[in-house]
Amino acid sequence: MEAWINFAKGPLFTVTFLIMLLGLARLVLIQVYSLFITKGRRLKNAPWKTIFSDLSTWMVPVRHLIKGTIIFSLVSFIFHVTAILVSLFLIDHIVLWEDYLGINLPAIGRGLADILTLTTIACILILFCCRLFVPRQRAMSQKMDYVLLIMVLLPFVFGYMAGHPYLNPLPWQTAMLLHILSAEALFVVIPFTKLAHIVLYIFDRLSALHWQLKPGAGDKVAEALFGKEARV
Amino acid sequence: MEKQVATNTEPQIQTKKYPYYIEQPVDQNRVGRFLEIFAAVLSYTDYKPLLDSYCTTNTKCNRCAVACPIFVTTGDPKDIPCYKTNLLLNIYKRYFTIGGWFKSRFSFNSFELTEEMIDEMLDLFYRCTVCQRCTKECPLGVDHGLITRLGRYILSLMRIVPKALQVSVREQLEGETHNTSKVPKIALIDTLEFLAEEMEEILGIQLEFPCDKMNRGYTFFCAVSDYLLEPDTLMGNAAVLYASGDWDNWTIGTCNYDGINYGLFYSDWHLERIILQMVKEVDRLNGRKILIGECGHASRSAHEFVPVFGGARPYPVMNFMEYTLESLKNGKISLNPDIITEKVTYHDPCNIARSGWIVNQPREILRSFVKNFIEMEPNGQFNYCCGGGGGLVSIDEINEYRMEVSGKVKADQIIKTGAEIIISPCANCKKQLRELVEHYHLPCKVMGLHDLILQAIEIPGGKSTEERKAERMEMEMMG
Repeated sequence: MEAWINFAKGPLFTVTFLIMLLGLARLVLIQVYSLFITKGRRLKNAPWKTIFSDLSTWMVPVRHLIKGTIIFSLVSFIFHVTAILVSLFLIDHIVLWEDYLGINLPAIGRGLADILTLTTIACILILFCCRLFVPRQRAMSQKMDYVLLIMVLLPFVFGYMAGHPYLNPLPWQTAMLLHILSAEALFVVIPFTKLAHIVLYIFDRLSALHWQLKPGAGDKVAEALFGKEARV
Repeated sequence: MEKQVATNTEPQIQTKKYPYYIEQPVDQNRVGRFLEIFAAVLSYTDYKPLLDSYCTTNTKCNRCAVACPIFVTTGDPKDIPCYKTNLLLNIYKRYFTIGGWFKSRFSFNSFELTEEMIDEMLDLFYRCTVCQRCTKECPLGVDHGLITRLGRYILSLMRIVPKALQVSVREQLEGETHNTSKVPKIALIDTLEFLAEEMEEILGIQLEFPCDKMNRGYTFFCAVSDYLLEPDTLMGNAAVLYASGDWDNWTIGTCNYDGINYGLFYSDWHLERIILQMVKEVDRLNGRKILIGECGHASRSAHEFVPVFGGARPYPVMNFMEYTLESLKNGKISLNPDIITEKVTYHDPCNIARSGWIVNQPREILRSFVKNFIEMEPNGQFNYCCGGGGGLVSIDEINEYRMEVSGKVKADQIIKTGAEIIISPCANCKKQLRELVEHYHLPCKVMGLHDLILQAIEIPGGKSTEERKAERMEMEMMG
């Protein structure tokens, strides 16, 4: 078992983490190229003020708690904050960042980490229930939406179990291995699923730039389809 | 929406039912044609990165549902903005991405475009008013309005487009009059003479509307329907220009006098051609600025797309409310605060308010002379659409849908204000709101902002506002 854990913590971690990083870098590069290079000078006409104001208000979306979505929005916001804090600043993860990336981040205390982890788990369960029981959400949800929520849930559950052996029905090593493997599974799917919004979020928020249409494109499409004599 | 059958087509190809009248229904190989057109659009335009990003990130969190006045009214999942967006995204994913190709080859459960999906798209894309309220409430900022518009663009290239819009655009781009309401030049000149006579009677000043004057500061474009239906708005505009001392600094071009641009609602191709037609007219007159009258989508299309399509040094575009506020702040015009005593509310046209461009200007103007002003809730950037946006107001055959579904939330909002006058500086919104007022028997009237200004503006050398009010009341008493 020890060998498996070492394998998961070593080469497998490196490979999966690289898949995530390279996958996300590919998405970012495509967006940067297509937005900032191909649109070029047209971007100066874009409504930058509105874009930045929307971006800033959505960072802490208290102004966007509208009737019918208050629970969902609050839970969703808390989930994002707690999940990011635990993933980045847990003392055991700090060691990883230092070993692999040479980054030295401050750590959060064990007690706080426990609270944040349990809050994250509770939030994911509530979001899952919302998908399952709110009719309009259920109507829009596909299998993958549920699968991804479970995939996000597992590293937190196994991580908490590994950190609390007395509450853990599984052997510590099993819980730790499952924690690492579930997190690595998540790394692999992130660039290929909606979880890629961790980096593409910023580009979606730049949607207004896409109203800066390409001059002459309409004529070219019409000519390609109907010839030079295209009529309305 | 009640299904209706198009009537002006060849009987032998009349096999499908469309929710609105269309000119030439294409009933054969629609799937193939749709994909062919989608591919052509992707080849020549910039939509690919947007679709790539949305395909990956679309979380379907459903916040957009509660923001959409249509879903709030119907509760039908098909009216959720994300549902409509996904119709197009699923097609893009399947047919234009490697992942989609891979899945179609190796999965038993792959998605295929069908005739039924095309029916669903042509219906749902025109159930949306493209008001973009959902975009403001989307945590990721997914612009469902832009995707709906792209869907409409592809359908329009299949010739699936409401006849009312297509006929208008054809006249504007390829007809003799170059405007959507087919108003000939001679009728325009007659109307302007009539307006001058009316202004003499109402305001006590003698004027001649400037047509085809060269080298003027402002070239004026309004929704051409205003010349037929909104004389008070136009006289209000003219009164502000006169009182500001700019009477010799503006002109109307008689080769192109229509600010309407339905391309904004459904076609990149038409949008650009209409903008270029407008720019050509300003070039001809050697004008310096484009001044757009009270029309939401005309203002937005010129403001956003003259800089995009209008060449290296595009003309600045100004909405008339910006001009009026500037005149008011500079002390060039004076509005009498004792003339308007009714309770007034303001409806924000989505096309100018959603981006935050024109939100405070009309309020500053109104608060300067209307004592009893009340806001709708919500308002400004988060306002509700009148229910006729995105070109829907021009489609008469879906009137019942506009009244009972898309306009229902707005009607409730108006009732809550208890206002006697609803101000809406947009030709489309005014038409829809008037129909709502009639449909729901609301005790209020719908006016443009400059209709109200016409009553309260002090005209140098003309009749006083009190005198005009007395005359107006006398006229009303006489019926």
